[in-house]
Formats: sequence, structure tokens, C-alpha cells
Amino acid sequence: MRRLGNIITSIHILLCVFLLVGCDLGRQPKISIRFWNGFTGPDGRTMLKIVKKFNRENPDIRVLMQRMDWGVYYNKLFVAGIGNRAPEVFIIHAGNIERFMQANFIRTIDDLVASENGIDARDFSENIWSAVEKNGRHYGLPLDVHIIGMYYNRALFRKAGIVDEKGEPKPPKTREEFLDALSRLTKDADGDGQTKTWGFVLTWYLTNLYSLMCQWEGKFFTPDNDRCLLNCPKNVEALQFCVDLIRKYKFAPPPENFDSWIGFRQGKVGIAFEGIYMLADLERQKDLDFAGAPLPVLGKVPAAWADSHILCLKTGLEDKKLDAAWRFMKYLSDNSLDWAEGGQVPVRSSLRNTERFRNMKIQWEFARQIPYIRYVPRVPFIFEFGLEFHVGVEKALRGTLSPRQALDEAAENVDKVIERRKKMIEENRKPRP
Amino acid sequence: MNKKNALYRYSGYLFLLPYLALFGAFLIAPLCYGLGLSFFDWEMISPFPPKFINLGNYEEALKSPYFWRALWATIRFVIMIVPSVVSGALLIAVLINNVSPKRESFFRAAYFFPTIISISVAGILWRWFYNTEFGLFNSYLEHVGIRIHWLSEVKWAMKSIVLMTLWWTLGGAMVVLLAGLKQIPDQYYEAAAIDGAGAFHRFFHITLPLLRPVLLFVIVMSIIASFQVFGQTFMITRGGPELSTRVLVQYIYETAFSNYRMGYGAAMSWLLFLVIAVFSLVQFRMMKER
Repeated sequence: MRRLGNIITSIHILLCVFLLVGCDLGRQPKISIRFWNGFTGPDGRTMLKIVKKFNRENPDIRVLMQRMDWGVYYNKLFVAGIGNRAPEVFIIHAGNIERFMQANFIRTIDDLVASENGIDARDFSENIWSAVEKNGRHYGLPLDVHIIGMYYNRALFRKAGIVDEKGEPKPPKTREEFLDALSRLTKDADGDGQTKTWGFVLTWYLTNLYSLMCQWEGKFFTPDNDRCLLNCPKNVEALQFCVDLIRKYKFAPPPENFDSWIGFRQGKVGIAFEGIYMLADLERQKDLDFAGAPLPVLGKVPAAWADSHILCLKTGLEDKKLDAAWRFMKYLSDNSLDWAEGGQVPVRSSLRNTERFRNMKIQWEFARQIPYIRYVPRVPFIFEFGLEFHVGVEKALRGTLSPRQALDEAAENVDKVIERRKKMIEENRKPRP
Repeated sequence: MNKKNALYRYSGYLFLLPYLALFGAFLIAPLCYGLGLSFFDWEMISPFPPKFINLGNYEEALKSPYFWRALWATIRFVIMIVPSVVSGALLIAVLINNVSPKRESFFRAAYFFPTIISISVAGILWRWFYNTEFGLFNSYLEHVGIRIHWLSEVKWAMKSIVLMTLWWTLGGAMVVLLAGLKQIPDQYYEAAAIDGAGAFHRFFHITLPLLRPVLLFVIVMSIIASFQVFGQTFMITRGGPELSTRVLVQYIYETAFSNYRMGYGAAMSWLLFLVIAVFSLVQFRMMKER
């Protein structure tokens, strides 16, 4: 009896296995392309839809997408690359591309772009296309450009009377308008001495302060990346402006006791600078009446931080795979308006000049900044720079150090990294004894 | 006959072989590899091959303020967590040991439960608890007019991590101590009771001395685990604010896998190993002497 039971169970298991395997039996072999990215938020769902659509339309190719958190993504990608198990197609941020070039992980795509099934490179804005260029060769296909911009709470604007002639909320464009708006937005509604509504909040220090430092025309490195100039007077001035917003004017909450982005979502803050990718987050907040606009010019020139997701190809692909992978990359690029829907700006101007994109109001507003967007400096030690930048700004905003001291310290630490790398390169140039 | 005997003698090793093979391949070999690596300057993604630099990495670590800050953050964590876990676990174990067997299994399971949750889940959970605006703790504290910035203030961040770790690891230590308590024969307590010893005396003159080997085990394991703290800080604060909770393992992780400096990372790992080894040895000595 027991034996019979065993046999029946085995048959069931076998059937299940056959069902699972059977899906692929009897068809011509597909070319499988592995596609890695860090889209773990709502953007991942958007991407998955596009990938599924591609798989349906291209029966000879099967793209397998794997998503992992950005926090660990690069580590895994590097380790996979070193073990020669990198996926065929993967996303990296423009700011990180230098490292991958150095490690020889990514294939240049100039031949593919120029090929019959290519893309007109003039369709990319010059500053975006050059973000993936080195020595005249391009190392990846920019999928999008995610720009920082100004989100503002329309309800709070109306209440504070910051409106135009038609009574519509009016986003500030200059430093004077910005400070005026903040002074009207910052309110202590019940008069208990504690601010209930803040005019402004700093969100991610790197994007916020980098944009402002660029607006103040600050520099970050000497032209040959030989020394870090993070502590140059213009950057100090930009940082001092932010410190003043918190400590002097009290328009922005001190960072040690405020959850900045959540505060904006809860309607406690009038203005926040954040990336276009936060749009999906805001749209889920049904009771929030918000809008987007380009960053106001707080310094001397307009500037806004931006980064791009770059589609990259693994080096050393055989022709068949290469062809399939390129077809997939081109498909993503051609359909990047679908991608933009979830809170992105497409890089191709032919796609941006469409009715459909114009209807994506906030994306369209943010995209107006494209002529003066600024990518982070392209240095191979970008992780170290990013950390020092963050810690330096944090110390200044919390009042632990003065802006000058904080940036001095950060620049000094980055210089140490540069020094060490220089030594490494020099020693490797020396002829071996 | 002789042959059979020999076979018999070595059959034990044969049974050990599967484990030893895995132990060797996944622990001993990487350990040796790491030791070797620590004498090389190797940036994993640079075009240059690893270069032998003798003790250069160790020298750099000992001169680096970041290394000392991370070590100090780790030591602060250890100093706070080990006494609280051990004393807390001991207290709960003694209490549970004194309830009826039926309830005992309930309490044991309840206190042990957090331990089986993975650190990433526990970390996310506690990040919500600690949230300043809508977190569990602050929503209770608000009733008495207190608002604590659990994770964003330097003076609170590490304490919050310790509190979370206490919740997470208490159960494991408690179960071990409870097993130790069960091994103490009841006669001793009975005899002491007859001699007129109160609960206080029974605890300090019977329970503690007889529990010493188990207690030593728990303390040493707790110290070793605490020095290797990583998951909590990485999940909850990522080392902030102002790097005040960046512990040594996180710094090693960042060095090796964000900045790709394999040799330097390996050297710091070995320094951490030395610190743990010294602490453990001192512990064993102290416990033996008495």
C-alpha cells in the first residue's frame, strides 16, 4: 500500500517537472540575454512590463531581468564581471562609468550605433552623449536622464499667497523669490514657538548641494583630477547658504531631527529639491497637491544635478548574442517614453518633442533643465568622493563644523585617495627590477 | 586482520572527511588566501596586478583615522551590548526556570522568536519602529511629550542599534543559559534552603558558580559576535549620522567591495581578528583563574 503511495507521488513529481520543462520543449532554441539592474522600486515594474513586451515581440530572444538593490548592485556586478559571469546587458549610472571602463568590462557601442539597425547619435543631447564618451568612443547607450528639480506643495503655496495673476501657485525662479517664498511658507500655526510648516528641506545632500555648488560656479577637481577642490570658496559659499537656511533664517529644519522627504510627502514642507525618479512616490500620495518646476537660480548660473542610467554591453560577446543584446538595447531606447512614464526623462530629443511627453507635466518641466544639467565629476574614485562629500556636508549642516572646516576636511581626505592612486600608478610604471 | 584493524582505526577520519572538505574549502582556504592578500596592494578593478608591499596595508590601517573611528564605534557597541545581553538573558533565564513547565515552553519560544528573524527583516522592521515622524516608539512617547530622534542624532544612533540588537540576540543567549540552569541539581538548592539561604544567596553562591562554564561560553560568543556587528548598522543607519555607527566590518566591506581595495580590506579583517582573539584569550584566562 505504502509502495503504491510512493509510486503515485513520484508520478506527480515527474508530471510537474515535465510541465515546467515542457514549456520550452519542441521550440527552436532561444538566445537568452541576462539583464541586470537596480530597479527595485516602482520603476522595476515599469521595466518588467517593457521587457515582457519585448519578449513577446521577439520570439527568438528571451531576456531575463534580474533586479537588486542599488546598495549592493555594483558590488555584485563587479564580482560577476571579474569572474567573467557578468550579464550580457546591464545598467550602470553615468557617474560610475569610469570605473567600468578601467576594468575593461564594457564594450564600446559606436559600431552598433552606426550600423544599419542603429540609432542616430544626433538624437542625443550633446552633454548626455558625451557623458559616456572617452577618447572618442562611447561606452554605453544612455537610457534616460534623471534630473533634480523643484517639487512644491501647491496647497501651501496658495495658503501663503505665493500666486500669479491668475491665482495659480507660482514657483520661485530667483534667489530673491526663493527666500521670499520660504519666509512666507515657514509658519508656526499655533504659536507655540515650534515651526509646523517649513519652507524648504534639503533631501539628498549629494544631489542638492552638488546642484547648488554648480550654481555658485564651484569646482570639484583640477582639470587633470590631480587635486580635490571641494573646499574652494565658491563651494563653501553655497554650503554656507544652506547652513543659513537652517540656522540663521530657520526656513529649513535641522537635519538631525527631521525626516526630510517624508516631511514633504506629509505636506509639512513647501519646497524640496529631488530627482524626477521620486515622482512615482509622490503620485501615490493621493492627498498631496504638488507640482514640479526647474530649480530656481540661487547662485550665479542655472545648474542642476543629473545622472543617467546607461545600458551597457559586456565585452567579448559572440555575434549572435551581441546582435540579440543590441536589439534589446535599441528596443528599450526606442520605447523609452514608456519608461519615462514611471518618472524619467528620455534622452532622445525626438521622443521628448512628442505630444505624449509634453503631457507628462512634471517630467516635461524637469526636462527644461537639460541644457545646463551637470553630471558628477567622472573620476575613478567616485565612491570615495561621494562619501566624503556627504559626510562633509552633513557635518556642516548639523553644525558640527563650519562649512569651511567641513569641506577642508573632505577635500583633504579625497586628496589622500588621489595621492595613493597616483603612487600606485607610478609604481606600476616603473620597470620591474 | 591487521588490515581490517587499520581500516577501523581510520574510518573515523573517513566520516569526518565530508565536513573537513567543506570546512577546508570554504573557511580555511579563504582565510589563508585573505592572509596572503593582506600583504598585497591590489585594487580589484585597476589594470594593475597585485603588488607585494609587505606590512604596508597594516601600517596604513594603524595610521588611518577612519580605521580607529570604526574600531572605536565597534568597541562602543561591544561595551554596551555584551553586558546587557548577558545580564538580560541571565535574568530572563532564571525567571523562566522558575515558572511551571507548561508556561516555560511558551516563554522560551516567545523570547527566542526574534532570533530566528533574518537581520534584513529585523532591520527594516526596526527602522519603522524608530521613525521620528510615525514610528512606534515615538507614537507612544508623544503621550508623555517626549520625542527622540532615534537614528538621526549622534548621541542616540548607536544606542538605538544596541537596543535593537538586544531584542534580536537576547533569545539565543537565554536558551543556552536556560539549558545551563537545568543542569544544576536541585539538591543544592534544597540543601541551601534548609540551611536558611535566601533567594539572593542561592543565586550568588549556587547558580552563578555552577553556571560559570556556560556563562563563559555565552560571554565569549557574544563578544565575538558583537565585534563582527554589521547587519544592524548597515540595514538601519548605513553607518550614519556623521559615520558614528560605521563599525569596523562595515568599513572593511566598503573598502573591499565599494572601493575595491582587496588587500587593505583583508589586512583590516586580520586586525579585527587579532582584537577578537586577544579579548577572547583574556576572557578564558580570567575565567580559569578563579
